[in-house]
Amino acid sequence: MPDWKALVRARLGAIPLDPARAADIVDELAQHVAQHCADLKSAGRDDDEAMREALRALGDPTRLAADLAKADRPRSTTPAPPESSSSAFGGLMRDAAYAVRLLRRAPGFAATALLTLALGIGANTAIFSVLNAVLLRPLPYADPDRLVLLGERGPTGFPNNVGYTTFLDWRDRIRGFEELTLIRSWNPTLIVNGQAERVSGMRVAANFFRTLGVQPAIGRDFTPTDDTPAGSQVVILSDGEWRRTFAADPGIVGRPITMNGLPFTIIGVMPPTFEPLISERFYTRADMWAPVGYATSLAYACRSCQHLKAIGRLKPGTTIEAARADADAVQASLRREHPTDYAPSTMTLIQLEEALTGEIRPVLGVLMGAVGFVLLIACANVASLLLARIARRERDLALRAALGASRARIVRQLMVESGLLAIAGGLLGLIVSFVTVPLLVHLAPSTMSRLAGARIDGRALAFSMGLSLATAFLFGLLPAIKASRTNLQTSLHGDGRKSGQEATSIARRLLVGADVAMAVVLLIGAGLMIKSVGRLIDVDPGFDPEHVLSMQISLVGPAYAKNDAVLAKIDAIVTRLRTLPGATGVAAAGQIPLGGNGDTWGFHFQGRPVSPDDPSVERYAVTPDYFAVMRIPLVRGRLLAITDSAATENVMLIGEHTARTLWPNADPLGQHVKIGGDTGPWRTIVGIVGDVRHQDLATTPTMQMYLPQSQNTDSFLTLVIRTHGDPSQLVNDARRAIAAEAPDVPVFQIAPLTELVERSIGPRRFVMVLLELFGGLALLMTAVGVYGVISYTVAERTREIGIRTALGARPADIVRLVIGGGFTIVCSGLVAGLALAFAASRFLESSLYSVSTTDPATFAGVAIVLMTVALAAQAIPIVRAMRIDPTVALRQE
Amino acid sequence: MSTDRELRKGSAETLILALLEERDRHGYEIAKLIGQRSGGAITFHVASLYPTLYRLERRNLIQGRWVEQAGMRRRRFYRLTAAGRKGLHAQRRSWGAFFAALNRVAGIGHA
Repeated sequence: MPDWKALVRARLGAIPLDPARAADIVDELAQHVAQHCADLKSAGRDDDEAMREALRALGDPTRLAADLAKADRPRSTTPAPPESSSSAFGGLMRDAAYAVRLLRRAPGFAATALLTLALGIGANTAIFSVLNAVLLRPLPYADPDRLVLLGERGPTGFPNNVGYTTFLDWRDRIRGFEELTLIRSWNPTLIVNGQAERVSGMRVAANFFRTLGVQPAIGRDFTPTDDTPAGSQVVILSDGEWRRTFAADPGIVGRPITMNGLPFTIIGVMPPTFEPLISERFYTRADMWAPVGYATSLAYACRSCQHLKAIGRLKPGTTIEAARADADAVQASLRREHPTDYAPSTMTLIQLEEALTGEIRPVLGVLMGAVGFVLLIACANVASLLLARIARRERDLALRAALGASRARIVRQLMVESGLLAIAGGLLGLIVSFVTVPLLVHLAPSTMSRLAGARIDGRALAFSMGLSLATAFLFGLLPAIKASRTNLQTSLHGDGRKSGQEATSIARRLLVGADVAMAVVLLIGAGLMIKSVGRLIDVDPGFDPEHVLSMQISLVGPAYAKNDAVLAKIDAIVTRLRTLPGATGVAAAGQIPLGGNGDTWGFHFQGRPVSPDDPSVERYAVTPDYFAVMRIPLVRGRLLAITDSAATENVMLIGEHTARTLWPNADPLGQHVKIGGDTGPWRTIVGIVGDVRHQDLATTPTMQMYLPQSQNTDSFLTLVIRTHGDPSQLVNDARRAIAAEAPDVPVFQIAPLTELVERSIGPRRFVMVLLELFGGLALLMTAVGVYGVISYTVAERTREIGIRTALGARPADIVRLVIGGGFTIVCSGLVAGLALAFAASRFLESSLYSVSTTDPATFAGVAIVLMTVALAAQAIPIVRAMRIDPTVALRQE
Repeated sequence: MSTDRELRKGSAETLILALLEERDRHGYEIAKLIGQRSGGAITFHVASLYPTLYRLERRNLIQGRWVEQAGMRRRRFYRLTAAGRKGLHAQRRSWGAFFAALNRVAGIGHA
């Protein structure tokens, strides 16, 4: 008997249908022809003739194939794929409409993918907007890349401060600058309506605003005549100060005011757009500017009186290198002319932008890198989801290929689907970032000066959209290529499950492995930061910050020209504060640790000539109760006493570190030293006290000394008040007490000491919180990824598991079978992640404290957490696998 | 020839539905019965029969299924669905009306 199926198939050629259906049709037609032939033979035809006639009944085979296909086609359960179109755009629109229909039919998939992408893109957009605000947004000055900070190279590579006379020589001699200007900090006390207000300001050279390329919005800029000792009583206000203190008075120009007891005239107001970034970076945000008003005859204008900062604007076309070479030559000649005033050094010029943002740059780099990892994990997860989906749609795709869709056409369709997902995810991500950017701004430490300006602007929008499209490629391309390679024959006959899906499974496993690896890196970063911050919190600052309120006061102006007047006022204030209910001790100090107001003095020994190489020691001028209030312990000798006065012997205490460093083999008690040059009196060391962390918690204690206020009087003081309960409850009482005692003394920067400690941890805490967040997100996404792959594997192997169960496999065997696969992926990812973290954690180095970048405990801890989460993620699919009923599983096909 | 073809095409669906009204049949049987009962006036070949069957199936007027009988190859049998039964009645009525009209106008009587 002839093989009728083969004969019919050969005649018909390819029927443009799902091959499984086409095979059915061939079967049916072959039986028809066979029976027809049999009937013809029984009617007496010979074999050949019967066969020919029976086959002839098929008619025109090409036409028949087309007719059959046309009659049968719309059986497919998938929505009809879009017709190919002549216009590319129309085609894309149809592809998009088709993709929307498909996604609506798979809400679980769509929701998971969109949420994952939204979180990934949202987090990236938020961090980018911070990066954009702080680093990318150019400085709001004219041609900001020509602005530089210059000075002799300091120990950290940053330019040192400069003395006034030196500055004048630089301005006259160094070529290559269009303008060279200078600044210094200034914190005058302004009396408005009888109220003392302390203003943050800057003293600047007359050409300061011109150098930046900005102008007052109202009134005039400074002129060279303003910048003289006689003419310097003029000020320019910030827009904010003008509105706050002067009610935006339009006739403000020419208005006289009193500051530090001296008459000043307001000559201008800066526009609201002017950002006082320079003051923010080096001092505090300025609201008022006045000319420096120096002359070389003034004592503090000397060559080595380094308290000014020089800022220059390079001429167009002049490079930093050329200007530096010239500055070096000028400085060398100054050194030859005034050998006693200058130490051998080189000049350094750094771009103002770098000077303002340099410290924050590596931190933001780490955060951007971390958040990029989160997005990569999101992409890997979505790609994995898409691969699983495509495996399920294999027949549909093969059918489309059979109907004549080219590979490119199928890739396009799938890329449109991915693009759509990415754009929708990107839009949701934008919503996420709109919510998170204000939170970030709120969370950011005050040291990130420009962060307050972070918002979703055009650039952040463009970034987010570009990122969305890039992610579409990242997560969509692999599945699309995979799908376009689908083997038509095997995938359309039901027996193709293996070949097509095995590759998919491998790809998905690789993606989940990558998830795990990246999550490990992020978690290790977060772990190292958590450990650092933890260690930092545990650091003993050397004093007890609990229950202490701090506030600053300034006693300036003609009324406080004499030390006696200052001391009397301090005494009156301290005495009055002591009577406040809840106050247990009050002291005043010129500087307090972590207060940002350090003061380092030269330390000179008796019997040795004063030399520039003598050590520098942190100076604290305090009232006697300071040690009790701060709880700084006495180690040896005695503390300061009320009896130490201007009339008695000059005394001082030193810190333990100072004692160990300067007198390694001798007793410092009873030794005599001078501070701050050759001119002062000899001071006797009478006691040794514990060290404090002055700069910040992460910096080990420096050398420190304590002098009595009575023998070394300050005009700017910090009051510290120890209380029974919550120190912030005392703020208003303290303010009122000071106002009653000294209405001309402004009170500012009121803060519990614990807040200063917290502020010192701030930048690290910021990085820690964000890395924790990203690490958590990464862990969650990884868990979802592992869960997805394992549950898919279980679904894929239902039949196999059913057979094994039927053949007597125990639940433990099934668990081993399922876990085995997952375990390999997680372990490989873990190892890769640990290796990657080993290499990448050094980027965190500058943010770490007392923790190695390869801290073994952190690495091990992360490995354990990850393994636990990965195993937990497999629990549900494993339970599902164990519950597989063999009879149901085997009937499934 | 062309008349034959038009007629065949127009009436094919009715013929198939009518034959399936009696009982389930496979494709060859349908073709053979049509030939026999029309005395050879109407013949259905593979080329027209199967596309028609599939079209009817797609419109849910008939339903095909593979049936295996002991010792025989499996065959695809078609059964009239409820919708098919309704469709058949409607077609019978319109053909009846059509022939009545032909008769009145052109004097063509029933065979």
